[in-house]
Amino acid sequence: MKRFLRSWAAVAVAGLTLTGCGFGGGDGQSEDGSTLSFLVPSYSDGTKALWEGIIADFEAAHPDVNVELEIQSWDNINDVVRTKIQSNAAPDILNIDAFSGFAADDLLYPAGDVVSANTVADFQQSFADNASIDGTMYGLPLIASARTMFYNTELFERAGVTAPPKTWDQLHDAAKKVAGLGDGVYGYGMPLGSEEAQAETSIWTFGNGGSWTNGSTITVNAPANLEAVTFMKRMIDDKATQPDPGASDRTPMLDVFIQGKIGMVVALPPTVGQIAEKNPSLKYASAPIPTKDGQPMTLGVADHLMAFKNEGDKKEALKTFLDYVFSAPVYTKFVDTEGFLPTTRTGAAALAGKTEIASFLEVLPNARFYPSTNPQWAATQGAMQSLMGQIGQGKAPRAVLDEIQAKANG
Amino acid sequence: MTTNHRMEVPAPAISARRQARRDLVAALPWLSPALTLIVTIVLFPAGYLLWTSTRDVSPVGVDRGSAGFDNYATLFDSPALGRVLLNTAIWVVGVVLVTLLVSMALAQFLDKAFPGRRLVRLAVIVPWAASVVMTATVFYYGLDPYYGVMNQFLVDVGILDTGFGFTRQPVPAFLVAMAVAVFVSLPFTTYTILAGLQMVPREVVEAAAVDGAGSVRTYWSVVLPVLRPAIAVAVLINIINVFNSLPILRTLTGSIPGYDADTTTTLIFKYIQQDRQIETASALSVVNFVIVLAVIGIYLRVVRPMRDE
Repeated sequence: MKRFLRSWAAVAVAGLTLTGCGFGGGDGQSEDGSTLSFLVPSYSDGTKALWEGIIADFEAAHPDVNVELEIQSWDNINDVVRTKIQSNAAPDILNIDAFSGFAADDLLYPAGDVVSANTVADFQQSFADNASIDGTMYGLPLIASARTMFYNTELFERAGVTAPPKTWDQLHDAAKKVAGLGDGVYGYGMPLGSEEAQAETSIWTFGNGGSWTNGSTITVNAPANLEAVTFMKRMIDDKATQPDPGASDRTPMLDVFIQGKIGMVVALPPTVGQIAEKNPSLKYASAPIPTKDGQPMTLGVADHLMAFKNEGDKKEALKTFLDYVFSAPVYTKFVDTEGFLPTTRTGAAALAGKTEIASFLEVLPNARFYPSTNPQWAATQGAMQSLMGQIGQGKAPRAVLDEIQAKANG
Repeated sequence: MTTNHRMEVPAPAISARRQARRDLVAALPWLSPALTLIVTIVLFPAGYLLWTSTRDVSPVGVDRGSAGFDNYATLFDSPALGRVLLNTAIWVVGVVLVTLLVSMALAQFLDKAFPGRRLVRLAVIVPWAASVVMTATVFYYGLDPYYGVMNQFLVDVGILDTGFGFTRQPVPAFLVAMAVAVFVSLPFTTYTILAGLQMVPREVVEAAAVDGAGSVRTYWSVVLPVLRPAIAVAVLINIINVFNSLPILRTLTGSIPGYDADTTTTLIFKYIQQDRQIETASALSVVNFVIVLAVIGIYLRVVRPMRDE
């Protein structure tokens, strides 16, 4: 009987230990007030080394604070964060696009608690507003990106298009002319695959004065949005776009543009570097994104840092580290190396002379953002990514927007 | 098959039971690693899955309390579910059936003696040795309409005028995925059946020939009955594998909008990654588990593959 008890005790202990380490928290290493866990997505192949350099410099200057870096791919980071929160092991600092879901569940410190007043005051107003819910700032805008249209000047010349289009009708016309060249050349690149369908769609709906929200609720199927999506479908049906836009992801489609096979695409700041690396002989120029009536507009996107309310009082350590990250030299180097746009006033001043991003900085004042402070936006965005491309597979715009609206309503 | 009964002294029932319990206790220290594994790796996650499927979990992972059966209601309200279930049935039945037929032919061929048989047998293993994601990715890029080599080949030999987006529309992409699934399932199935073929006694086949049976008749009446257990194992394992297969469909149909090319397994991932509904995904996982149990139950019941002839 003794042996019986002993072996069962062994089983029970082994079982408890195994479940314990895999489940009950696992953040034992960061419970003291001076160790910060820091979870970031990988923006480029250099992101890891860049953060490691910043953290090494920081720890050399502040030996009392210890920062533990974890890098995840954009494909995985949402799953990783959710799993960590579910098991009470949220990171102390997270770098991700949207913060509103975390704020809605009361998981975040307000920005004022974790950075100094000077750092808060340094954010450009539009980004600070975009990082606030009901006047309380939760996100710390880290990087920004804006879009502008790139067009292949060689294809434009061959097709007899003299100036970049400003309105939708001119865009339709120019795209048809370029597509008329044949030989596997397409007019306008429309990436409605799951990678970033919400960005392409927003460019069109915002360009029609539409909006995804009326201030409180999500309004995907509002009339202005429907009109814009109907025009997108017209572009597809008239073969002014590449074939099967519904299944085209942005990154591979930009590669086709870089190969010189697409007349016009909406591009991001890092596209400049990709062209220089992959096909430096490509002849292209940039122009503002065409809108319905020619009013300038761009889609702005900001990614944020945010601090989670975890056990133990880490506010001082958080403040020390985050103020260091947003100090002008450190911050400018980070944004500059990754090729994005700065969100701080000092960063913008420091990078004003950089030619690669000049055309993007120029359109930034007209930037419109996703309604990412709305807690329903994450679900809306996911539904757009998986469903919007159906307009390229024969489904009616109204039906698609209604389907997304239904998902947004939950 | 003979059974080997040990001679046992007839004893009162109580004593026999006590003996059995004592044996079990004595065996426990040796069983405990396996039991621990089963509890922590299988039972605990399955229980947690069931638990999550009845919770209201926020999109960022905070448990907001019990949801009863609301998640199942959300799931069954989904307009996409009908098509997805149909796709799943087509996917499992189609892939397993085609795999089985091709494998039976291949195994028959590999069972014959011919020069270089060893090399051909090795070649059949290749799709098995390669990672499934890699194989699917090779097909995905090969079939790309702009720069895929397979599309380029079809254009060069004049079958197509320009590249066709095989992986850009639900139906062609789903068919391509099925073809790839058959391709990667062939090695295991072929080798299982080949092993079965080695068990067919030569004398019986020769006797059948002497009695005047043709090759079709011999295969049907002599070979197939011997193959029955091998085929049963191959089909069972393939059903489970194919039903739960994610990487091929994710790679080849992942960029297609809507749910027209999804099976229940890929739909689970869309619920998690795009809709951020971990609780609905859990409910669908539970349903998925019940379906696969039911399918196997029906298969074992109706086909009775394990019965002795």
